[in-house]
Amino acid sequence: MEAETEPFTGLAAVGISRRFGAVQAVANMELHAPAGEVTALIGPNGAGKTTLLLVLASLLAPDSGTVRVMGIDPMKEPAAARARIGWMPDTLGVWESLTAREILTVMGKFYRMPKGRLPARVDELLDLVNLAELAEQKARVLSRGQQQRLSLARALIHDPDVLLLDEPASGLDPGSRVSLRRILRGLAADGKAVVVSSHVLAELDEIADRAVFVNAGRTVLVQTVGQAAAQGRRYAISALDPAALAAELTRLGVSFDAGKGRRDSVSVALGTEAQGAQLLADLVRAGVAVTAFAPAAGALEESYLGLDVEQR
Amino acid sequence: MTIMENGTGPAPRTDAGPSGLGAYAAGVWAVVGMELRQRLRARGWYIMLVVWFGLIWLVTALTWASWKVQSSAQGDFGGVAGSAANGPGPLIFEAVLAFVLLFGLLVAPALSANAISGDRAGGTLAIMQVTLLRPGQLLWGKFLASWCAALAFLVVSVPFLVFGILQGGLGAGHILVALLMLAIELGVVCALGVGVSALANRPLFSIVVTYLVVAALTFGTLIAFGLGMMVTDGTVQANQVYYKNSYVATGPDGTVDPSQPSGQPELPQDITDQNDQFACYGPMQDQRAPRTDRVAWLLGMNPFVVVADAIPYPDRTSAAQQQYAVGAFESISQGARSAQAGPEATYQCANGKVAASYLSPQAPLWPLGLGLQLLLTAGVLALAWRALRTPAGRLAKGTRVA
Ligand SMILES: Nc1ncnc2c1ncn2[C@@H]1O[C@H](COP(=O)(O)OP(=O)(O)OP(=O)(O)O)[C@@H](O)[C@H]1O
Ligand SMILES: [Mg+2]
Repeated sequence: MEAETEPFTGLAAVGISRRFGAVQAVANMELHAPAGEVTALIGPNGAGKTTLLLVLASLLAPDSGTVRVMGIDPMKEPAAARARIGWMPDTLGVWESLTAREILTVMGKFYRMPKGRLPARVDELLDLVNLAELAEQKARVLSRGQQQRLSLARALIHDPDVLLLDEPASGLDPGSRVSLRRILRGLAADGKAVVVSSHVLAELDEIADRAVFVNAGRTVLVQTVGQAAAQGRRYAISALDPAALAAELTRLGVSFDAGKGRRDSVSVALGTEAQGAQLLADLVRAGVAVTAFAPAAGALEESYLGLDVEQR
Repeated sequence: MTIMENGTGPAPRTDAGPSGLGAYAAGVWAVVGMELRQRLRARGWYIMLVVWFGLIWLVTALTWASWKVQSSAQGDFGGVAGSAANGPGPLIFEAVLAFVLLFGLLVAPALSANAISGDRAGGTLAIMQVTLLRPGQLLWGKFLASWCAALAFLVVSVPFLVFGILQGGLGAGHILVALLMLAIELGVVCALGVGVSALANRPLFSIVVTYLVVAALTFGTLIAFGLGMMVTDGTVQANQVYYKNSYVATGPDGTVDPSQPSGQPELPQDITDQNDQFACYGPMQDQRAPRTDRVAWLLGMNPFVVVADAIPYPDRTSAAQQQYAVGAFESISQGARSAQAGPEATYQCANGKVAASYLSPQAPLWPLGLGLQLLLTAGVLALAWRALRTPAGRLAKGTRVA
């Protein structure tokens, strides 16, 4: 592997295992998050995502395995590694009686940021997460989504090279999700390595460059989003006259089954996007009044459902 | 505590501040500032302060009123009481001091014992641990903040102590030493509370444990001392006691010697030592006596003993002064010191010497007691430091980092 030969810029974790009593939360997991890309960490509840992120954030010692944060071993040099890691937990955890501005300021102090630069940086981040108007409000009165955004700002205060975000999108309204997407893409463009764990796979299609699928404490699949999109996926098709659509599909020799959605649609498995375009053209040419023709699920969701994951 | 190396890696936007001790102190200061800000916004703290003020006011007023009643009654009968002659100063001072210490011991755990377990429950501990803060900085910051909060209670009670001093009979030195010792005792309890809170998972549990530790220090040490005295039964060489003012000669075990004729007996011949009340005579014998000197350290750990023993009082061994302790604190101090001196010094006629009714100032007990308290605190804090280290190895059962 090339990561072994030349120093890997970004976050690399190999062979991570961690056990809690009888529960093997993480078993021999592997994750490479290159700088400049967003890496999604996907898996069912209890798969070990949060545990892995805690190990990567240098909060939890692994039973075995190595972590490198921009080439630094956090077990040996925790301070040097932590200066480069930003961690956003899945629990909110805000100091309730402090204001948003005070929380960011004190976090900057904890990261030993120079005093002079701190106020400007705090303002910058409050603007970034759209909390400038609520800067003087106690964190207690902020809504869940606002607290979530504050938590993101808190993880970014020291401009870390590696970002570890545990379910950052949970509780966010659609507008905030769009701006989260924008923020994360912006960070990746700045050359940061971003790791996002999330259950909203459609969201990750837009954000992530690559995905690591974990299940029952193991890495089960590593894919780029390009690869995921290139693999076969299902399309949902609906038409004004469902009977005509079914007849035409049968004539074309395309196998289909009744869609799972609310509306009257059929679901078709297609190998590539080109085949999809071809099928749509064929249907339209045959005079079928197609009203919707779209992937039934996102690329990553397709991968996820293809895996035989078990929830625990 | 070992201090980890500073991150010297090329981190552009951090680590640009001062290095070494200055950076360490800056981190501690940041924690203190954040904690104090949160505490100042909590209404409960102000309510507690007001209640505290009211209670101390009540104690002062009642003490003063009771002195008034007493002294006027004594005036009616024409008696000259020692305390009345001195004025109510020492009385008020001691009453206020005792109550401030008592209430302080009750309040300090509440102020300190959820410092870290509360953060753990609220999910904010891990957020601090993931920064460049070290476990030691976290502990120092939390401790100093809770100590500051506890000292505010002391400040509120200063006017009453000053009032006691103004009533006469005491010097300003008393108030300074007393305040210093109270502050130290509050600090010990706060440090214990912060240490326990780092070890416990839930705030309620750490508060209860801290109260139990405080109870062990205030009551447990007394009980342990009492039990220990029985266990450490030893012997001391002593001869017979002759009571000059009584008409009966008794052995050291209190039995009346029937061979002695009633009426004033003659002074024995072989007197080894005597004063105007007692005489020691006869051959030395092994007498059973509790070796209090072996368990006095238990007594010394009691916060009340530490404070009482540290406050200076005049040397009353000279004949010109009354030969008994006046105040409650002086009595506590004398009691503790005689326990520390052991039977060799306090058993009547031990080694043929008349025991002094009042011990001359000897090695005080409070440095030993305070030292042991600090040792205990340091032990708890060392465990707390271990528990806060990250990356965390073993986790307490049933806890998550986040
Ligand atoms: N401190 C702990 N003690 C005992 N078991 C734990 C501990 N932390 C995690 N586990 C167990 O380890 C497994 C992985 O937990 P983890 O929190 O990493 O899952 P997750 O992938 O983040 O799940 P979710 O999607 O629900 O957030 C779970 O079975 C969990 O019960
Ligand atoms: Mg999780």
